[in-house]
This record gives sequence, structure tokens and C-alpha cells, in this order.
Amino acid sequence: MSWIPFKIGQPKKQIVPKTVERDFEREYGKLQQLEEQTKRLQKDMKKSTDADLAMSKSAVKISLDLLSNPLCEQDQNFLNMVTALDTAMKRMDAFNQEKVNQIQKTVIEPLKKFGSVFPSLNMAVKRREQALQDYRRLQAKVEKYEEKEKTGPVLAKLHQAREELRPVRDDFEAKNKQLLDEMPRFYNSRLDYFQPSFESLIRAQVVYYSEMHKIFGDLTQQLDQPGCPDEQRERENEARLSELRALSIVADD
Amino acid sequence: MMYLYCRGKPNLLDMGSLMIKPIQRVMKYPLLLCELRNSTPSSHPDFQALEDAYAAVKHINVNINELKRRKDLVLKYKKNDEEESLKDKLSKLNIHSISKKSKRVTNHLKILTRGESQVKDNTFNREEKLFRSLEKTVRHCVKNISFCLQHVQDAMPLALQSMMELQEISHNKDEEESSYSESPSNAPNPSEDFAAHLQKLVLTPLSVLLSLFPGPQKLIQKRYDKLLDYNSYLQRAAADESDLAKREYEALNAQLVEELQVFNLAARKILLNCLCSFVTLFRDLMIVAQRVHTTTVPVPQLASSISEIQNRVLEEVQNLNFVKDNNATFIERKLSFEKKKPVQTLPEVPRQTDTHRSKLLSTYSTEELYQAKRKCNATQEYDINLLEGELVAVMEQKDPLGSTSRWLVDTGIIKGYVYSSFLKPYNPARVQKVDAENRFCDDDFDNISLFIFYAVHAFQARSDHELSLQEYQRVHILRFCDLSGNKEWWLAEVQGQKGYVPANYLGKMTYA
Repeated sequence: MSWIPFKIGQPKKQIVPKTVERDFEREYGKLQQLEEQTKRLQKDMKKSTDADLAMSKSAVKISLDLLSNPLCEQDQNFLNMVTALDTAMKRMDAFNQEKVNQIQKTVIEPLKKFGSVFPSLNMAVKRREQALQDYRRLQAKVEKYEEKEKTGPVLAKLHQAREELRPVRDDFEAKNKQLLDEMPRFYNSRLDYFQPSFESLIRAQVVYYSEMHKIFGDLTQQLDQPGCPDEQRERENEARLSELRALSIVADD
Repeated sequence: MMYLYCRGKPNLLDMGSLMIKPIQRVMKYPLLLCELRNSTPSSHPDFQALEDAYAAVKHINVNINELKRRKDLVLKYKKNDEEESLKDKLSKLNIHSISKKSKRVTNHLKILTRGESQVKDNTFNREEKLFRSLEKTVRHCVKNISFCLQHVQDAMPLALQSMMELQEISHNKDEEESSYSESPSNAPNPSEDFAAHLQKLVLTPLSVLLSLFPGPQKLIQKRYDKLLDYNSYLQRAAADESDLAKREYEALNAQLVEELQVFNLAARKILLNCLCSFVTLFRDLMIVAQRVHTTTVPVPQLASSISEIQNRVLEEVQNLNFVKDNNATFIERKLSFEKKKPVQTLPEVPRQTDTHRSKLLSTYSTEELYQAKRKCNATQEYDINLLEGELVAVMEQKDPLGSTSRWLVDTGIIKGYVYSSFLKPYNPARVQKVDAENRFCDDDFDNISLFIFYAVHAFQARSDHELSLQEYQRVHILRFCDLSGNKEWWLAEVQGQKGYVPANYLGKMTYA
């Protein structure tokens, strides 16, 4: 046998046709990529919802600190303003929490559930691989016996080997076919599965932002000087600051 | 006259002499008027007018002097401390300054312990309080708004990114190009705009304002020192020293009162402006974010229908053979979705377990713990069932109607009412004894397990706890005492039925 150095390489081609193998690789590759995407998306969504919550919490802190300030006792106008701001911030926080819950329910949970199918897939592929190895091994054995002289014991062994090979080959074929058939279906199912999540995510964001728009729009109406354009405010700030700097009690920098 | 003499000199050559003219004039008038007055006889009709004029002019001069003193004091004390090196500070230390400082400390402590000082200015106090509140407010605002900005800058891009990733996963690549041309990835990041404007309109002005506070703060502190000095001189009634201290204090005080009012008003205006800007900017941010997300308008759907669709898809996936074959069983069970949740059967009334008992023991004190003497059945609303020996904690020794025979108890599982006659105080010592006896019983049992007992007399059971026996009936003893340790009653078993029998009815049977 040593004069045919590449014999071991050959049975590989014969057992599983290249096209089949290629198809399998392609489908499995797509699914592996999908698994990656799912995992990454889950992490990113979690980060995003956490960041959202942190933001609304820090906004509430602004108004909370303002409320607890002694200035509020001394100045009624200020107190009214700060109370209005506080109400708005707290409502924002509540809506944000609701939005996050909604996202949790319609996006993150389904993501998790979808991702939990992948271990089974990987297990199935592994099993197919094992079946393939067994198949190859036995096939090689059968061929080895076929090459030998057709003597009695050899024939018996050959027959036995062929018997052994058959169920293994059938098993592999079945697994292969099953996976080749079902992997694309699994892959395609993601569209129907995730589309509702996507729509729900967008809807949640839109609803949240329009609510926020309304809340803060109302707030700007309520506060002093509604409709004061930015430049005017800026100029007034500058004027006041210069006034302050002109005071003798303020240190020169 | 000198006045005319000056006016006759038209050629004033330098800026210095020009600028000194007003000062010279102001100082000249009292002198002139004084001369005039001195040379006017007191009977002259103008004499009174002259007197008044002289007094007025002197008054003006004193005012100017005091004003100048104020400005000088303020200038002196608002020197930046950081510019002084340690060497400078040390060189300032001398006997005089040390004694001054120690006197001030003493006075400060005196005021703290004995109450108000003699010298007080309510206006100043009010303004100072306002000043301090403003400083705190501005400081907090700067910090909190910066944090909020940080979070906004973190959160918005993440949200957009996740949305894009989800879009990618839920759509085919070729589909994407046709229907979702205005994908959110093209939208500019809304938070960047927000950040820039916020910085310009809110954070920068507030930070600048914040940096203006320490100056007056120092002067306020200095004024307090002067107050202490003045106060101490007043108390010691040292006339001339107190005069200087008084003047210094009053100068500083007046200056501060006047200017703090201006300061506070302006600071408050700036603060309010900034808060309004903040709110407006926030609103604008929300508008932009809403617009960005509305580029892909979905079909409205209820949340419940989403889960239905997804469950259906997932079921299909799980019906795929490779999933069914390779699932660990517990995952399979977890993922199997029922159309409807199965109606939960009413749970059996839970019986008290050891955990419940230990919880009761740890929550309540021993006086409150009681034991059920016998099985109690619930008869009225809010009553509970008890088994014999169950441990309860008495919460109230009366019921809502005021009757003291019905008590509110806690079994560790449920709270309800039982008749107090069913309860006896829980005696842990006794229980231990019972345990010991039980253990003893068990040992006993082991030793005499070879003995079989029989009923010497027939016995009629009077309740479910007791077991009826026929004469000479053989019984198998499970325990040689009852639950409360009573050795008169043994737990026996006959033909599968268990119950208590009186020990004196039983006789031992020994095998030869």
C-alpha cells in the first residue's frame, strides 16, 4: 500500500460528493453567522437599554437636586419651575422604564429563545460529523478488504464489513439529508421571527420619543420666557456675566 | 479768589493735573465755605444757609471717603490667595497677625456658644444665604447636566446601532435596498448636535458663573472676621480701636450688601436662562430622535400578536428533526409553548413544614407562640384549619368583633382566626422533652421490635386519631408515645390503619 501515498485522500471524495459538502458548509456557515449575530445583538440591546435607563435616572437626579435646594424655599417662582421640571423628568423616567420593559419582552426575550436553538444545531452537526467519520472508517475497511485476494476468510470479513457499513452509511445519509433540508428552513425562519421584533422596537422608540416631545414641549410652554430664541438667551447670559465681572467683589482672573 | 484763579488758567497741560481737578475741587469747597462762614456774623440772613451748605458739603466728602475706603478694603482682600507662596504666607505671620487670628477664633466660638453677636445685619444675612444657595444650585446643575449629557451621548448611538443590527437580522439583504432606502444609518447622530448646543448655551455659562463665586466668598469670610473684631471691641468698650474696626466692618458690609444683591439677581437670571435652554434643547433632541425612528414606519400590531407569531415560528423550528433529536430534555420542556396555560388545579392546603415552624420561631417571641391542642376546622370566614401540634404565633388575642375567644394567628403559611380554646402555650422545653422521649421511644422500639403487642381488651376509637381494637387483636406499634409525649398512648398499626391506642390496653407477646 505504501506505493500509493495519497490513497487516504481518495475515499473522501467518493463518500461525499464535493457539491454536497460545499452546500452543507455554506448552509452551516450562514447559520453560524446568524448565531454570532444573535449573540451580538442580544448583548448590544442589553447595553442599549441599560444606557437608556442610566440617562433617564441622571435626568431625574438633576431635578431632584434642584428640588432639595434651599433656593426653593426662598424663591416661589423658582420652586414652581423646578417642580414642573421634576414632574417632567419623573414622567420621562416612567415612560423609559416602560419602553425598556416592552423591548425586553418583544426583542430581548425572543432573541434569547431563538439563540437557544443553536446548541441543538451544533450538536446535530457534530453528530453528523461523527457519523461521517465512522462511515469513512468503515468504507476504508471495506475497500481494504475489496482490494485483497478473494479468499474465504477475506470474503467473510468483507461481507461482515459491508454489513457493518450499511447502517452507518444510512445513518450518515439520513443525518446529512435532514440537516441539508432543515438548515435552510431554520435560516429562513429568522425573517418571520425577527420582523415583528424589529417593528415592535421601532414602534416602542417612536411612541417614547413622541411622548417625550409632548412632555417637554408642554414644559417649555410652562416655564418663563416661552419662545425665546437661542441667540437671545446667549446674549443675555453674556450680558449678565459681564455685569458680574464688573462688580468689585468679584475677583479678577 | 482761588476758584477764579484756577478758572483763569486755560492751558492745563497733562492728564494727571486734569484728572486731579475734581478731587481738588471737592476738597476745596468745605474750606471755602468754612472761611465764608467764619467771616459772616451770625446775625446775617445768609448765615443759616451757609451752615447748611457747609454741613452738606462736608457730608459729601465723608461719603466719598467711606466709599473709597470700601473699594480699597475690597481690593485689598480680594487678592488671590493662590498667588501667595508658602514663603509669603509665612512672612505675613507675626505677633500681630497671630494675636488677631486667635482673638477672632475666640470671638467666633463665643458667638457659637452664647448666641447672637451684638453686630448684625439682616439684609446681609439674607443676601448671603441666597448667595450660598445659588452657588450650591449652580454647582449641582453643572455636575448633573454634564452627567446627563454623557449618558445621552452614550445611549443614543447604541440605540440606533441595535436597531440597525436587528434590521439586518430580520430582513434579506436584497430586500433591504429596495424598501428601506432611508435607513437610520444615514441619519446624523442627534446627540452630537444636542451636545454642542448644550455646551454653548448651558454648561459654559454655568461653569463661568461657578468660577465667579469664590471671589465674593472670600470677601464674605473677611467681613465676618471684621465683624468679630468689631464685636470684641464693643464688648470690651475700647473706644478708639473699636472705631477703626467699626468703620472697616461697616465699609465691607455695605459694599458687600450692595453688590451681593446685584450678583444674586444676575446669577439667578443666568441660572433660569440655562435651565430653560436645557429644557428646550431636550425637547429638540426628542423631536430629532422621533424623526430618525419614523423613517421606517411599521404596521401597527399588538404585543400579544407578536408573541403569537414568534411562538408559532419557534414551534415550527423546534419541530425540525435536528432540534427534537438533539435537545436536552429540560430545554425541550421549557420551550414547548402551549396555546393556553393549563388551568392550575387548586393547590392542596399546604401543611406546616419545619421551615415554617422555624420561621415562626425566629420571628415571634416564645410568649406569642401557641400549639394546637387538637385539630381545628375552619367554620367562619377567615378561620383557618389547624392540625394537632401545629405551631402558631398569636398576633391578636381578639377578633374584629372584639370577642376574645377568637384569636388571629400566623401559621407561617397563612394568617387567620382560630378559637383560643384550641390553643395551648408552646413550651419549647416540653417539646424538647418530647423529642427526647421520641428518640427514646425510637431506641426502645429498636430494642423491642421483636415484641408484638396485642390488645388485652377491646378498645373503641372515639376520634380519627384513635384506632379501634378487638380483643386479642395483634397490633404493630409504631411509636410508644403520642405527639405531646404522653406515654399512655401509643401509635399502633393494624391492617394498614394507624391510630393511637391506650397503652394499658396492650400486652406484650414474646416469641419463645
